[in-house]
Amino acid sequence: MAYKHFEAIEKHAGLLGIGIAIMVSLGGLAEITPLFMEAHSVKAPPGVHPYEPLRLIGKDVYVREGCYLCHSQMIRALRFETERYGHFSTAAESVYDRPFQWGSKRTGPDLARVGGKYSDAWQRLHLMDPRQVVPQSNMPGYPWLAHNTISAEDVQARMRTLRKLGDPYTDAQIAAAPEAVKGKTEMDALIAYLQGLGIANEPAPSAAKPATTDGVAGATP
Amino acid sequence: MSTGWSLWVMFLVVLNLGITFGLFLWAPRAKIPTRPDGTTGHVWAHGTILEGLKNLPTWWIVFSGSMFAAAFIYLFLFPGFGNHKGALGWTSHGQLAREVAANEARLDPLLDRFRLYTVEQLAGDPQAQQMGKVLFEDNCAACHQRSGKGNILVGAPNLTDGDWLYGGTGKDITTSIHDGRSGVMPPWASLGADNVKNLAQYVLSLSGAPHDAAKAAAAKPLFSTCAACHGAEGKGNPALGAPNLTDHVWLYGGTPADIEQTIGNGRQGHMPSWSTRLSEDQIHVIAAYVYHLSHPVDEDQP
Repeated sequence: MAYKHFEAIEKHAGLLGIGIAIMVSLGGLAEITPLFMEAHSVKAPPGVHPYEPLRLIGKDVYVREGCYLCHSQMIRALRFETERYGHFSTAAESVYDRPFQWGSKRTGPDLARVGGKYSDAWQRLHLMDPRQVVPQSNMPGYPWLAHNTISAEDVQARMRTLRKLGDPYTDAQIAAAPEAVKGKTEMDALIAYLQGLGIANEPAPSAAKPATTDGVAGATP
Repeated sequence: MSTGWSLWVMFLVVLNLGITFGLFLWAPRAKIPTRPDGTTGHVWAHGTILEGLKNLPTWWIVFSGSMFAAAFIYLFLFPGFGNHKGALGWTSHGQLAREVAANEARLDPLLDRFRLYTVEQLAGDPQAQQMGKVLFEDNCAACHQRSGKGNILVGAPNLTDGDWLYGGTGKDITTSIHDGRSGVMPPWASLGADNVKNLAQYVLSLSGAPHDAAKAAAAKPLFSTCAACHGAEGKGNPALGAPNLTDHVWLYGGTPADIEQTIGNGRQGHMPSWSTRLSEDQIHVIAAYVYHLSHPVDEDQP
């Protein structure tokens, strides 16, 4: 490259922009592309199953209401996180999360292993108005979820769609879905979802920290 | 990472370092044409400032060069160059395990000392208090409040009043935290709305609270059903967690409406089990902190 080429880049904003874009993207191509392309090879470990109908609706309510804007579901491999929240999260735990709930936005606490930490009654009060149980909380209440009923056809449609995407729902599971959500509200669904977080999909205990499985009675309503 | 992606990362690392290092070597030697007056012809501020030609400062070249050296050293020692694991064998999980071990080593002498004491003895220990307070606020305060005064909305008992559903010895408290507790007050709406209202008046009479004597008397025979758990005199049963109805402590509120609600719909208070979230040592320390909440006079032991 002679000086005149260098000068051309220096004097043409467009060329300079392209050059910068190429150099900046090298880092992303090296760090993001391999993980992105290999994500589909992550398989569900034993014990991780597709969401049951009620929890599936709960997960979709969680996403719809934007819970992820304040709560992550990703415990990082850092001592002050594993001490507070339990075993660090692994990619295999989230294979049935669409979209996955990893992230670093933590206005509220991480919820990856919140299942069983509080009673169902606590969860209900907290979702209706968080100040009832945590006076200093700045989380909004979600009282309308208690009035929203769940449509059986809707659950089945969601399960069929997920099956097309590769989630191994059986015909029997889809047929049984209306019974599982009968008479339930979105509030029940969200609580069922929260109470299962980190329980059904716990990785094997590692040397880092005892696992936090919690099969408490009444964990699911 | 598969070999193909490993090679891809290696290629990009070499490309990136190659381009920047090539520029680093070439740029200071590049022949830049100059005009007779020694300027490059670049002008600024409508020709009032002319751009001259200077060599790159030595400090800049040294710093820039040492950054390349740092990159090579980093890629040799740490993971980064494809599947190369790095000479130090560093992993984030390995670092976590080391930090956890270091923290445990730091806490072990303290916890070793705590293990020598019963919950009751440990309740007066300032260091145990300090650790217990942090653990309590992180884990227990969501239901029992930071003050430990409980929350009647979830039926989380007040821990500061000396009244215990499942017994108040150190051992009882440890069991409550370790295994959790589940209250099982069944709903009695099947008795009929009038009977529920009358029973509520009778329950109020047990603690000497203002009540309708006629309604209470009418419900007295019905209380034999309640006596199975709460005892014939309504004094409760710690083995079942059935509350004492003759005191002035109300788990879910003591207004007639609250009591009618409790009788009619039942109550299923639930204290989660903490044995899988907290270590035995942590539970021991929290139990001591909880014991202390209702025994603040024991400050001077052990």
